[in-house]
Amino acid sequence: MICRVSLSNADFEGLVTAMSQVSISARSHTQRTDRIEARANGLLGDCRRAFHAFGDLDELAENLRILSLNAELAAGRAGDKGRAVRALTQYTRELVNRLAQIQGEMNTLRRRTFALSSTILRGLLQMSLFERACGLVDDGEHDATAKAAVDRAFSQIMHMLVETLDDMANSVGDLARRAHGVEEVVSQSDSIATNIAIEAAAAGVHEKEFRTVSDTMRHYVDDLRKMIDEASDAVRRASEKGESLRRLGLDSLGDLEDNC
Amino acid sequence: MKCVTLFREDDHCWQAFGQDPDKPDNVVDTNQYVIRSGSAAILLDPGGMEVFPSMLAALTREISVDDIKALFLSHQDPDIGSSLPLWRRVCKPDVKIYLSWLWAGFTAHFDRDAVFTTIPDEGMEVSLSHDVKLRFIPAHYLHSSGNFNVYDPKARILFSGDMGAALVPADKTNGSMFVSDFAGHIQYMDGFHRRWLGSTRARDAWVAQVSKLDIHMLAPQHGLVFKGDDVKRFIDWIAGLDIGSGVASMNR
Repeated sequence: MICRVSLSNADFEGLVTAMSQVSISARSHTQRTDRIEARANGLLGDCRRAFHAFGDLDELAENLRILSLNAELAAGRAGDKGRAVRALTQYTRELVNRLAQIQGEMNTLRRRTFALSSTILRGLLQMSLFERACGLVDDGEHDATAKAAVDRAFSQIMHMLVETLDDMANSVGDLARRAHGVEEVVSQSDSIATNIAIEAAAAGVHEKEFRTVSDTMRHYVDDLRKMIDEASDAVRRASEKGESLRRLGLDSLGDLEDNC
Repeated sequence: MKCVTLFREDDHCWQAFGQDPDKPDNVVDTNQYVIRSGSAAILLDPGGMEVFPSMLAALTREISVDDIKALFLSHQDPDIGSSLPLWRRVCKPDVKIYLSWLWAGFTAHFDRDAVFTTIPDEGMEVSLSHDVKLRFIPAHYLHSSGNFNVYDPKARILFSGDMGAALVPADKTNGSMFVSDFAGHIQYMDGFHRRWLGSTRARDAWVAQVSKLDIHMLAPQHGLVFKGDDVKRFIDWIAGLDIGSGVASMNR
């Protein structure tokens, strides 16, 4: 049982209770950082959704690899009637390798994107604190050096943020290219599944085995398609938000330079 | 944020900053101190990022950020130095950051680009100017395991970090940054010291160490500053306090 240690005074306990509450700043952000923060959060959310959509890609690639091995064994058992299926399964193996390569690239991209997200969130937090500081030192009672120091710091963070948003936009572009790569694999796998089905029709006693391969492959192709559909929407939104954020950052930088 | 001058003699000056009325209620109140001598200043426990805007605004009413030559972090807590990356953005690039060797790698989580001048366990002496020397004296395990106080023998002020800290409710402050009624003040620091401090051996060593110093003011990182006879009262009080109260909640 966990008991509360009795402390010597109620005020102390009250303060400790207040300290243990979830910390939510009582002060609100100002408009400039608010807009950037809202859009950045949207961008990061879309990137997370896109990566999440591809979460089962490695499992699907592995299933496809096992299917191609089983299909090759079936083709071997079919002798001459399995020659075309054997060639098709070898081609499937190449597609699986391509998927594995895309998956590896996507893992690297995911790490990079989340590192950029962390930099953006840190930058936004610092920017909002400096924005508050700007308001406090710009009261006519501080000398010019204080305001200059705060403005300089704000501008440095904004520069850093714009550069990071640029990198983020490139990452989203890379993600779109990887998604397109998966799309090509889907289209080619679909053709292979169709060709195996055609070969099955002429395979006599081996028809059932080849048809099972073809149907299973179609099933995997459908799963891949679903992935693509979910990811494409998130990538498209992320891409739009990334571009709009970059413009917003550049505009803010322009404003800062005009005011200097 | 309030700014009170604790000591001034020629260009040697100690100032305390705290009791920020705009501070959100759920953020614990902290004191930040600046010691100046000529055009050199050191900022002691610059504070958490939440107090940074008002601290910067209050500080720059007194000095230019270009004068801040060093930052001192008594230990690793967020209310001590999570503002570090923000201060480094406004201070000159060669600003020194003093911190216990124990915490350099941990505090880098606040600011991976910060370069620390690490303080050995025994402490060290630094010169703020040709005639103002500061001693970083060990206060390990009180409450942090790598913890330092700052003693200025010329001003006779000891920055004591969490030793002497008090959590004074906002409605109980009387506008002063000094303890005016020691007996009445105990209620605000009693629970803090009982729970936050864990080592009686460390407490005894600290009491023996600071009893040898000539201290006119004892300036903690939370709550009110002790001066004159209240310094000895505090040392005597802490020497007899039963600390480590959290232990009672274990193995029940």
